[in-house]
Amino acid sequence: MNHSQLDQLIIMANQIADNNHLDTEAESIEFIATHIKKFWARSMKEELITYAKEGGDKLNVLATQAIMVLSEQYTSRST
Amino acid sequence: MLQHFDPNKDYGTPARVSENLITLEIDGVAVTVPEGTSVLRAAALVDINIPKLCASDNLDAFGSCRLCAVQIEGRRGYPASCTTPVDAGMKVVTQNEKIAKLRRNIMELYISDHPLDCLTCPSNGDCELQDMAGAVGLREVRYGFDGHNHLDAEKDLSNPYFSFDPSKCIVCSRCVRACEEVQGTFALTVDGRGFDSKIAAGQDDSFLNSDCVSCGACVQACPTSTLMENNVIEMGQPEHSVVTTCAYCGVGCSFKADMKGDQVIRMVPYKGGEANQGHSCVKGRFAFGYATHKDRIKTPMIRDSINEAWREVSWEEAIGFAAKRLKEVQATYGRESIGGITSSRCTNEETYLVQKLIRAGFGNNNTDTCARVCHSPTGYGLKTTLGESAGTQTFDSIKYTDTMLVIGANPTDAHPVFGSMMRRRLREGAQLIVADPRKIDLLKTPHLKDAIHLPLRPGTNVALVNSLAHTIMSEGLEDKAFIASRCDDKAFIKWQAFITEERNSPEAMQSITGVDAEDVRKAARVYANAGNGAIFYGLGVTEHSQGSTMVMGIANLALATGNIGREGVGVNPLRGQNNVQGSCDMGSFPHELPGYQHVADDEARGRFEAAWGVKLDDEPGLRIPNMFDAALAGSFKALYVQGEDIAQSDPNTQHVEAALKALDCVIVQDIFLNETAKFAHVLLPGSTFLEKNGTFTNAERRINRVRKVMPALAGKEDWEVTVALSNALGYEMNYNHPSEIMDEIASLTPSFTGVNYERLEELGSIQWPCNEQHPEGMPIMHVEDFPIGKGNLAITEYVATDERATRRFPLLLTTGRILSQYNVGAQTRRTENQTWHNEDVLELHPHDAEERGVNEGDWLGISSRAGQTVLRAVISERMQPGVVYTTFHHPGSGANVITTDSSDWATNCPEYKVTAVQVEKVTQPSEWQKNFEDFNNKQQDYLRKGRRSRSEEVGQ
Ligand code: SF4
Ligand code: SF4
Ligand code: SF4
Ligand code: FES
Repeated sequence: MNHSQLDQLIIMANQIADNNHLDTEAESIEFIATHIKKFWARSMKEELITYAKEGGDKLNVLATQAIMVLSEQYTSRST
Repeated sequence: MLQHFDPNKDYGTPARVSENLITLEIDGVAVTVPEGTSVLRAAALVDINIPKLCASDNLDAFGSCRLCAVQIEGRRGYPASCTTPVDAGMKVVTQNEKIAKLRRNIMELYISDHPLDCLTCPSNGDCELQDMAGAVGLREVRYGFDGHNHLDAEKDLSNPYFSFDPSKCIVCSRCVRACEEVQGTFALTVDGRGFDSKIAAGQDDSFLNSDCVSCGACVQACPTSTLMENNVIEMGQPEHSVVTTCAYCGVGCSFKADMKGDQVIRMVPYKGGEANQGHSCVKGRFAFGYATHKDRIKTPMIRDSINEAWREVSWEEAIGFAAKRLKEVQATYGRESIGGITSSRCTNEETYLVQKLIRAGFGNNNTDTCARVCHSPTGYGLKTTLGESAGTQTFDSIKYTDTMLVIGANPTDAHPVFGSMMRRRLREGAQLIVADPRKIDLLKTPHLKDAIHLPLRPGTNVALVNSLAHTIMSEGLEDKAFIASRCDDKAFIKWQAFITEERNSPEAMQSITGVDAEDVRKAARVYANAGNGAIFYGLGVTEHSQGSTMVMGIANLALATGNIGREGVGVNPLRGQNNVQGSCDMGSFPHELPGYQHVADDEARGRFEAAWGVKLDDEPGLRIPNMFDAALAGSFKALYVQGEDIAQSDPNTQHVEAALKALDCVIVQDIFLNETAKFAHVLLPGSTFLEKNGTFTNAERRINRVRKVMPALAGKEDWEVTVALSNALGYEMNYNHPSEIMDEIASLTPSFTGVNYERLEELGSIQWPCNEQHPEGMPIMHVEDFPIGKGNLAITEYVATDERATRRFPLLLTTGRILSQYNVGAQTRRTENQTWHNEDVLELHPHDAEERGVNEGDWLGISSRAGQTVLRAVISERMQPGVVYTTFHHPGSGANVITTDSSDWATNCPEYKVTAVQVEKVTQPSEWQKNFEDFNNKQQDYLRKGRRSRSEEVGQ
């Protein structure tokens, strides 16, 4: 049952999304993105951003979109 | 009039609280005391010490010995001053010829049935009977010892920590009353009547076979040497004592360490300690022998690989070796490839230093603490709803509670002293609601009035709490005024709409929780209608995939019913380890600097950067489970662990072991070769709480002093080791005493600005926040407002856990603790507490046992998707069908081989409380257990070799 690091990150992101269906999709995405930004290590975010950009098919819809929001923030930060 | 409270003095009867003050005269001295106070106590308060035997100020007066007789103007005879309440204008005489004669006669009767071996008695010098004989001037005993007496009564030596010698008993019943009133166990009785009466444990059992839980209250209450600590019998009376704080659970009891030189003779609960008020449990009271156990690591050790023997080396060499390895790893794999784990058992000062070393010295935020695996959801949930990551009350506040709602906690085992306070309040008539899959012992409190048990299925907490809230809102039981003035409007309206949806009703949730809808409604009404409703919760709330959601659900209940911000109410997380609260406060989490200040907060981070003289990372670091995953992925390579045993305590042991094996450098600082240390390259000796100065913060935010009573066995206190390591790494730290570390904490943490050692000395203890606005700390939180302004009711959607019973794994395993052992057991397993629990067992319901043909004591294989282990069966009605239970106090039992990496969505707190398992009869240990045995033998051998090499060297 030992998941790889990436598998685990996908499970965690999906779980955050599943637990936070807010009134609107936009609110949910914002919440998930903020949560991950606030609590996850840089390396974890980077790994998931890369995965999402490559298709990220195991991420659920809300999680994917939240990661894309993060991806913008992190790309703009590093430039 | 001198009325200074001295915690070392016995005032005879308990203090009374009343606004009505009564003035009377005792031996010509005017005394003013609260109404209801006894004459005995009033006299003691002005230092008129009336002789007494059966009275003690932690027990209700009983009035049996009559030694405290006095004369009162206008009253007949010689009333007992302990049972006589004061009256306005009363004139009391405590000493005259007649009274003296009466007291001498009473003493003479006592002594005539008491051995006169004072000189060789273990109580010599600390015996109230002896003192009283002296006080009344007893000079002769006319009755002789020839008549019928009890001098040959047999001793009971069954308890490993104390003896019962009935020949010395004066049947004052203090022990019986202590067991009932203080401990709440009712294990002792007075058997027989008159001269034949004697003290008996249970139905004339031995202490060990009775209901006795070995709390020691009776031993402390006994005025003679009838009940006596074995240590005193063996080693004699102590000669000095030091007040310090228990290092076991989150109650944080204060103790007097009674010493002979640097040897601890006994630990006596300290009456001046505000958390425990003179009570204790078997762990803090008796289980301290581990501190001097032969297994203690006393010399630093190093090795290049875990497949070779240890080498004992000097501190300099070990620290130098560790620093070099850490630097090499960072040079090869990058700044973020190393990290550390702070300890919830170490002091605030030590924890603060470890996270400082990581953030400033390692240059990353890869710091975490074992609170990750217990109460991290409390931090998240309470901060979101109430604005502060901490419980809202004092323990004492329970005295004003009318209804207690206990969720996922087992206080009589895990927080015993607070469990006793709860039981006392329940006996006084408070109502009890328990939401727990198991029938916990609190439900069996003697003289309990009303109780509702909601035996929910593991993993359905949020469904249950939502249906409780639904009932409150749909039946109009909410506190509208409180909501209007104290809660955020918008959040409340949204929440109300959500919670009143039919799908959250008890009827709709019944099929999920398994709890009868009518019982849920009844419980909701009882809680909401209580004058003061208080919620207490433990790891049965947090250790779930929805742990954080559940904590918010609990806060919602308290907010909706206005049960926040005064005595007797509130949200009370019961913390597991002694300093879980403190380790969280001290910035152990990767995203938060001390005082819960986020690393991305430029202002806060800026202050730390200025004080620490380095640039800090503004991104959170890895949490413990993330570190394991990163280790297996190859990006995380070195770990510094202070006082934690992740290889035993963390879930999915095989995953943890693989991660530890993947690391290039593991530095463990601990008092023993614990399970994690078997994977280590550097072993730095730790020090116990008896060997250091510092502070612990208990579950009520109370900062208590820890005081050094003996020198550190290996020469360094834990904080000194961290300082040495930091300096070797090139990040300079310079402290002479932990008080200087606390001063630094105070300068950087807004909720601690008023805390320092002088102030702690003055006040005894401080409940944070302690700052300019609250110079003496803050016992009850959120009285006027919340740190976030208004209370924030949060949406708490129930989402089922992935850990579900299936055909392959049809049972749900939940894990917990028992009274006599503590956490991974490293300490308690090395004491006589083993008498009560020397192996972890699997509890299962008779129905599940029968289905599988299991008998009591059979070996059972338990398997989950994570792994398999084997434990002995105990068949118990405490369990509901379909649910099995075990503890993880013994490493070889492998309870965490079974638990999975499923975790809380918000904090990654592992879901220890729900694992889908199958159970079957087996004949031999599991594969993991066999490997464990081999690995353990190998590592113990490496330790022995290391020790031998050193002694040979020294011998040359
Ligand atoms: S040790 Fe505690 S539980 Fe046991 S008999 Fe004494 S008071 Fe009761
Ligand atoms: S055992 Fe001690 S406390 Fe109990 S009745 Fe005898 S003398 Fe009193
Ligand atoms: S273990 Fe807890 S309840 Fe027991 S003495 Fe220590 S702090 Fe108190
Ligand atoms: S002390 Fe008052 S009757 Fe015993």
